[in-house]
Amino acid sequence: MKSHINIQDLNAFYGDHQALRNITVEIPQKQVTAIIGPSGCGKSTLLKCFNRLIDLTEGTRVTGKIIFDGIDVLSSSVDITDVRKKMGLLPQKPNPLPMSIYDNVAYGPRIHGIKEKNKLEDIVEKYLKIGGLWEEVKDRLKSPSNKLSIGQQQRLCLARGLAVEPEIILCDEPTSALDPVSSQHIEEQLLKLKNDYTIVIVTHNIHQAMRLADYVIHLYLGEMVEHGPANEVFENPKEERTRAYINGTILSDLKIDKEINLKGNVCPYNFVYAKQALHELSKGKILKLVVDDPLAVTEVPRGMEADGHGVLSVKQINKTDWEIVIRKQE
Amino acid sequence: MDKRLEERLFKILMIVSLGIVVGSLFMVIAVIIWNGAPSLSISMMTQTPKGGYYLGKEGGILNAIMGSLYLAFGSVILALIISLPAALSLQKDYIGKTRLAYYIRLSLDVLWGTPSIVYGAFGFIVMLYFGMRASLMGGIIVLTILQLPIMIRSMEEVIKLVPYELKEASYTLGATRFETTSGVVIRQALPGIFTAVILAFGRGIGDAASVLFTAGYTDSLPRSLFDPVASLPLAVFFQLGTPFPEVQQRAYASALILLIIVLTLSIVSRYLSRKFTKNIIR
Repeated sequence: MKSHINIQDLNAFYGDHQALRNITVEIPQKQVTAIIGPSGCGKSTLLKCFNRLIDLTEGTRVTGKIIFDGIDVLSSSVDITDVRKKMGLLPQKPNPLPMSIYDNVAYGPRIHGIKEKNKLEDIVEKYLKIGGLWEEVKDRLKSPSNKLSIGQQQRLCLARGLAVEPEIILCDEPTSALDPVSSQHIEEQLLKLKNDYTIVIVTHNIHQAMRLADYVIHLYLGEMVEHGPANEVFENPKEERTRAYINGTILSDLKIDKEINLKGNVCPYNFVYAKQALHELSKGKILKLVVDDPLAVTEVPRGMEADGHGVLSVKQINKTDWEIVIRKQE
Repeated sequence: MDKRLEERLFKILMIVSLGIVVGSLFMVIAVIIWNGAPSLSISMMTQTPKGGYYLGKEGGILNAIMGSLYLAFGSVILALIISLPAALSLQKDYIGKTRLAYYIRLSLDVLWGTPSIVYGAFGFIVMLYFGMRASLMGGIIVLTILQLPIMIRSMEEVIKLVPYELKEASYTLGATRFETTSGVVIRQALPGIFTAVILAFGRGIGDAASVLFTAGYTDSLPRSLFDPVASLPLAVFFQLGTPFPEVQQRAYASALILLIIVLTLSIVSRYLSRKFTKNIIR
């Protein structure tokens, strides 16, 4: 395993609060590394140290070393725009720029000196294809990026980040604002990209980490609890805290109390049937639904959450079917 | 208090205040049209005052129309050139969080509240010191100073509203502070910047006190930047000051022209700003 980013003794502070403590770890090249851990454990902070986005927050201080391409990113003599160019960031919430779809992708190459129109056109086409958005937008490249759906916006952000030809893609909970179908799109693109890029993904979704990661770093309250190849960490964690975290959020250990098949029902009928089924269960019990209506995949979980129930997972089980797991609340 | 009574009282209060706002605007417009429209004529807008114009004889106020346009556009352009960089530098990416920025904002707020006759008197003293006489140039400079606080503060407010995520997106692509500001911040804030310019234009073209000493008044059109120049607010003032009813009528007609210029500009700018808004991220 060849390492791409080498982190040595990294400490990060927000004012007096220490967000990261003595992190020493290597990020493997051309693999997907998932940084997992509960909210507020320093996952995003670690990511923001890599491209020094943390500098933009007031009152922050970072010590230690992050060696990337033979240079210490944290050293003050480094041209940070150069480092950032080599590390694309896919944000938590899609943040398209206030310009057309085309200009969003061309923005990066333009600031790095590409002016020729046909060259830019090729770049835009190439990266929109890699981002998996080309087919949907090829006829309206000049229309505003804010007209895209939120899932499309996130793929646009991916294409935009890739257009400056980074070596590393940093993802900060890239699917947490998206609906399940769009999340799946993004995950698929990331899996395709891992042969060419080093990918670091911060996620609080352990299933996502399992699906994507080759290597896992578990953070807890700013400390690195465990790191290692994904299969080892997930199947046989060395640390009790990692085991507890994985088991706490893992579903395979959950007892499904009732399972109903709503295939062939469209929205909102499947929602109504699901509600009826849930009604018969007592509080805290788990219901598993199988649906095949694409609308239901977003609307049923949304409706359930609006009713105060907990949606534990939404995942695709085969080409047409999705599984939704709900915990009854109230 | 009874909830429903509260609700009803508040509703009445809203209707009354809205009525006052809309009503006063309509009354101003109505009075000016009522009094001014009968004396408004093509010749008024195409001729400069002939001999005895202020006694009710031949001529028009082309001198004041052109003078006001020169003054307003000149000062708005100058103020924009100064304001945009100033407002951008007040972002927190630049000096926004420093003590200096605090004092700059304080000075601008005080300047904003300063009566325009003070600017006029100040300009007049400075011009006397340099041995200049009232001129288009003097008027433009004083109007620029008058407009600066309005423009900078209103621009700063809209620039502050640019979501941080947009700047972050630009920075993560390897953009510098300048590239981020010019490529993203200005684009996102453009409609607001436009509004700030129109606000300043309105203040500039409508102000009489600051140009009274600095731009002077003349019956002819200016041939250079160093000639004195007439302006519409002063034309209204002088005509209204005469004892002749027909000249006073012309004062209303002049006010109507001023009103039409300002209204046209606001409407055009609204239309343009809507065109700019289509790419804005909400």
